Amino acid sequence: MEETKPTLVLERVTKRFGGFTAVSDLSLQVRPGRVFGLIGPNGAGKTTTIRMIVNITAPDSGRIELFGQQMNTALQDRIGYLPEERGLYKKMKVGEQLRFFAELKDLRGQEADKRVNDWLKKLELSAWKDKRAKELSKGMQQKVQFITAVIHNPDLVILDEPFSGLDPVNVDLMKQTILEQKAAGKTIILSTHQMEIAEKLCDDVCMINRAHKVLDGRLREIRRSFSRNAVALQFAGGDGLLNDSSLVANVRQHDEEFEVLMAPGASPQALLKRLVDSGAMVTKFELVEPTLHDIFIEKVREAE
Amino acid sequence: MRKFFAVVKREYIQRVRTKFFVIATILGPLMMAAFTIVPAMMFGIKSGGPTRLAIVDQTGKMYERVAKEIVSRKSSRTESATEAEPAQPAVGPNNSSDQINRAGKMINSTFVVEQARLNNRSFDEVKKDLEARVESRELEGYVVLPPNLLKDGQPEFRARNTADLFTKENIQSAISRAVRGQRLVEAGIDEKVVAKASESVDLKTVEAGGKESKGEASFFFVFGIGLLIYMSVLLYGQFVLGAVIEEKETRIAEILFSSMRSFPLMMGKLIGVSLVALTQLGIWAMAFLAFSLWAAAGSSITLPHIPPMLFVYFVVYFLMGYFIYATVYAVVGSMVTTTQEGGQLALPVVLMLVAGFYLSFNIIRSPSSPLAFWASMFPFFAPITMLVRIVTETPPLWQILLSLGIGVATVVGLMWVAARIYRVGMLMTGKKASIPEVWRWVRQA
Repeated sequence: MEETKPTLVLERVTKRFGGFTAVSDLSLQVRPGRVFGLIGPNGAGKTTTIRMIVNITAPDSGRIELFGQQMNTALQDRIGYLPEERGLYKKMKVGEQLRFFAELKDLRGQEADKRVNDWLKKLELSAWKDKRAKELSKGMQQKVQFITAVIHNPDLVILDEPFSGLDPVNVDLMKQTILEQKAAGKTIILSTHQMEIAEKLCDDVCMINRAHKVLDGRLREIRRSFSRNAVALQFAGGDGLLNDSSLVANVRQHDEEFEVLMAPGASPQALLKRLVDSGAMVTKFELVEPTLHDIFIEKVREAE
Repeated sequence: MRKFFAVVKREYIQRVRTKFFVIATILGPLMMAAFTIVPAMMFGIKSGGPTRLAIVDQTGKMYERVAKEIVSRKSSRTESATEAEPAQPAVGPNNSSDQINRAGKMINSTFVVEQARLNNRSFDEVKKDLEARVESRELEGYVVLPPNLLKDGQPEFRARNTADLFTKENIQSAISRAVRGQRLVEAGIDEKVVAKASESVDLKTVEAGGKESKGEASFFFVFGIGLLIYMSVLLYGQFVLGAVIEEKETRIAEILFSSMRSFPLMMGKLIGVSLVALTQLGIWAMAFLAFSLWAAAGSSITLPHIPPMLFVYFVVYFLMGYFIYATVYAVVGSMVTTTQEGGQLALPVVLMLVAGFYLSFNIIRSPSSPLAFWASMFPFFAPITMLVRIVTETPPLWQILLSLGIGVATVVGLMWVAARIYRVGMLMTGKKASIPEVWRWVRQA
């Protein structure tokens, strides 16, 4: 396996629409077999970036390289794309519809039929194969749309806001399916503004805001580097301990729980020891890593 | 290319399979038949029996002649018109008087004539008797030939239904011919000479150079083709428009564009929908042809003769005309978001076809003029104007090929423009396109 060679490289990519710059000087690398999160608020330039990756539009400047090749139409067949703006042919039967989308990815014949059946079965839609799309519920339609993105067994799967409009059951199903794709060795780009979801699924992230990259890298490393040495705490007794400023810099309390920011140089371990020594009853003690949301806010504030 | 065919296949199959298509395909010829047969039947019903007439001959010598003329109906006008009839296709130009004439011919108006003799009764008595018979429906009417008929007397036709123009005309011309014949005989001219002299002339048209004449039938076909283009564009243009807009409404466009380029996509749509149109038109054409053959077999009507090469031109220019205007709908579809909006935008362009009709009247008279040349090169007029030229004075082959080449280039060019507008328009979702903006999109991206 060429573990070292990135699946996708964007080099100083810029895209403008008239006077508006949608993506500015963006560079990133997506490594094979990983879930890559493209995150940022609505209008940050995520969708435009993806459209350049799937060759719907070309960058004004910069270079896009996929599977080690300059972007070209032939590569489109190796990408599976679930756009944010997605729909189905309302009057077309589900099975025929999937067949058609498979053909557009140059997959045809019995192999295409087999894949259609397999996927419908997997997502519990087999009974709907000969129904028209408009007869399906929203959630079912979403699942069919997802199948269109993966039916041709692409090496790179790009999902733009895949969870929007899904109910919790289907969100879980979708998450599970994404992880299965990852397990099958696919590279996945996940674009979302829901950072909690990105946190749970992504290996690497790239945050963009207002056309610019804010930061990127391995999610774990990012979170570690932003670690503020904080502890989530629930306890009874040991009064006054949290007032020790040599130990604790700041405390916020919601209901039973305290969110404790450790004083510079103080270790959470010391705090736990003191609590136990004081005879307090500790019901929760958890090192808190900053959320992506927190990191994002902090980085954006920094930049401004 | 395979993706292009996938699009063609989808557009075609999804449309042809609809109930709407099946019903429209079956109803089409039925409606056509209804519009042509029902009026004929209605005229036919009226003439269920012969028209019974009595003639009161006050001249004492005209009855034989008039009766013969009425019964034989050998009116020169009617005769020549009957011969010209097969030259008129169903879609030929119709003005109202033309229609009445033709309808009149459809009436199988046979006459039964009897002489109402005076038999020592007074004229008034006879008249009263005839009135009574008309009233009791023994007669449809009666004709009075006054004693001074041969000089300046005015014959009278009294009937229950004086609004029946055709009967009136038949009788009038019969009496005229009888009077003319009698006058000539009385002037001492031999009866045979009179018969010979009243024969009408039939102008035969032969193209200079001795080639076979394409005949007036061809002209009617040109206009027929023009009308056919116009109708099919109005009918199926909406389909093209709908097909182009479909992915915008259903938000599928982006998935498609991530799989293929916009040009083969647009071409696939145009071809797919057009094949649907051609399938339907083909079925209708076969039905029409079968019907005409059947109708021709049952009567003495001969089908117009069209040289095979001309027929090829008809088909080729019909296709060109159809595609050029269908493409306009595709371009419009790429700009708008709803079909209603699109229909309004496309109509002015489609009206150019009508301009082509008007131009062709000039071109018939001077088919080799510079105007004719340029009009037949301009792709929006060419389907009609070039056909007119081919029928009148066939232009050199290079001109025909050039006009076809321009037509094909126009279709491809317009589709390319449509593909661009569509793609850029999709990237700028939510923005309504103005014409200058669309122009920028075409150059951009």
